[in-house]
Amino acid sequence: MSDITKKSSPALILFAWIVVSVPLAWGLYRSVKNARPLFSGATQAAPAATPTAPAATQTAPAANPK
Amino acid sequence: MPSFLDRENTIAEPGFSRWLVPPAALAVHMCIGEVYGFSVFNVPLTRIIGITQSVKGQDWTIPQVGWIYSTALIVLGLSAFVLGKWVERVGPRRTMFTSACCFCGGLVIASFGVAWHNFLVVWLGYGLVGGIGLGLGYIAPVSTLVKWFPDRPGMATGMAIMGFGGGALVGAPFGVELMNHFKSATSVGVQEAFLMMAACYFVMMNIGTTFVRVPAAGWVPEGYVPPAHAKKLVTTSNVTADEAIKVPQFWLLWAVLCLNVSAGIGILGQASLMCQDMFGVTAAVGAGFAGLLSIFNMAGRFVWSSLSDYTGRKAIYCVYFILGAVLYCLIPFTQRINSVAVFVAVTAVIISMYGGGFATVPAYLRDLFGTMQVGAIHGRLITAWSMAAVVGPQTINYISAYQKEHGVPKSEAYNMTMYIMAGLLLLGLLCNLLIKAVDPKHNFQAAPQGGNA
Repeated sequence: MSDITKKSSPALILFAWIVVSVPLAWGLYRSVKNARPLFSGATQAAPAATPTAPAATQTAPAANPK
Repeated sequence: MPSFLDRENTIAEPGFSRWLVPPAALAVHMCIGEVYGFSVFNVPLTRIIGITQSVKGQDWTIPQVGWIYSTALIVLGLSAFVLGKWVERVGPRRTMFTSACCFCGGLVIASFGVAWHNFLVVWLGYGLVGGIGLGLGYIAPVSTLVKWFPDRPGMATGMAIMGFGGGALVGAPFGVELMNHFKSATSVGVQEAFLMMAACYFVMMNIGTTFVRVPAAGWVPEGYVPPAHAKKLVTTSNVTADEAIKVPQFWLLWAVLCLNVSAGIGILGQASLMCQDMFGVTAAVGAGFAGLLSIFNMAGRFVWSSLSDYTGRKAIYCVYFILGAVLYCLIPFTQRINSVAVFVAVTAVIISMYGGGFATVPAYLRDLFGTMQVGAIHGRLITAWSMAAVVGPQTINYISAYQKEHGVPKSEAYNMTMYIMAGLLLLGLLCNLLIKAVDPKHNFQAAPQGGNA
């Protein structure tokens, strides 16, 4: 074994984490963006007969007879 | 093969930071996790001839294309099972490099298959050759991390397997962007997308190959003192892969994984449609819901698995099963009160525990069988996942279709399956409770020290 202990460079560790974090962050951003309609209030499918009704305040949709 | 890939050349020198290993593992898992996003290619693959629409009798059909994905997943399990011991012998670097060659080579072959419109070539490339890459790439980084983090095995495996979950978040939009970029009047862009993905993933996976190391014999983290009194289920010995499959604990854990995954994958595969059927939301909102679940699937892998380092593996699985069963039973209630928000919250927690189940299992194996051949044992256990990938979605599909055919409103067609999923989880709880420490008679004698991954 070598007497000299060569420590891993913190810059190298940072680089390695950035390499994997950037694509993950991009994927996360895209997914959050796609999920936004869930929270935008437009969760209910607007029935054709009431096109002006505000989606967020609609009651049970046509597909849900309850 | 160059000696750079040899296991002897991957043994870490003193001073090597173990924090370089998780990104190496993530780099591989994030790439092979692309398989979860394969569905974005389904429709384009059925329009290779017709481009704007599928030409009946000439273009491939959706069920045909589905076989490519199914084959890849089946081969993932089989290759992990068969090649697990080879992985232990040659070490993680050669395995990860082979995985990159198979996975990316498979994409290249599939690209040619698309160009020639030859289904067999696409199936062979993505399904068979790519599937081998999936199996090898799945187990090698996990077993390496377990050896680097004896103090936090749950967190370590959670980090790697989180990458596999995250692969879909990256792979699906990446595939869509590439197809949009390359599509033209004469091409749907799949052929070019496959080639570009092969190139990008090959680079990324080999960054992981370069960084990965195995700990030297006898290495322990700085300041780490193994607990004086070992926990009841945590062994300090090792059991070989061949011996492990002879003990009931392995098969109980196989059932635990299979049942936990069956329940979760049933929802994950049907998320968008279920949300639309139960609450009448638009397809765009349904797709957004599926995307949201993917985030929780990914996050759950890290969070729950890390938590298991404090609670113990058996206890955390009890939480997955008990809380999971309660939440499944709540889903019909969310439909009755017509609350999308509560439904989303409930399913998000369920899916996080599905991911957690995946990520916690290598640490559970390490507790029961030691680190010596944990990769090979993990490879054998993954067949439970292959089984669950068939059982879960088919159960939901079949029962909900049956209910709809028999006049049950679409919004209520999933209620029965939710109760069945809760039942599967309770069965899993029973299997988990039956797991005891492995009898020392199965231990490997004169077990080698560390430095093997």
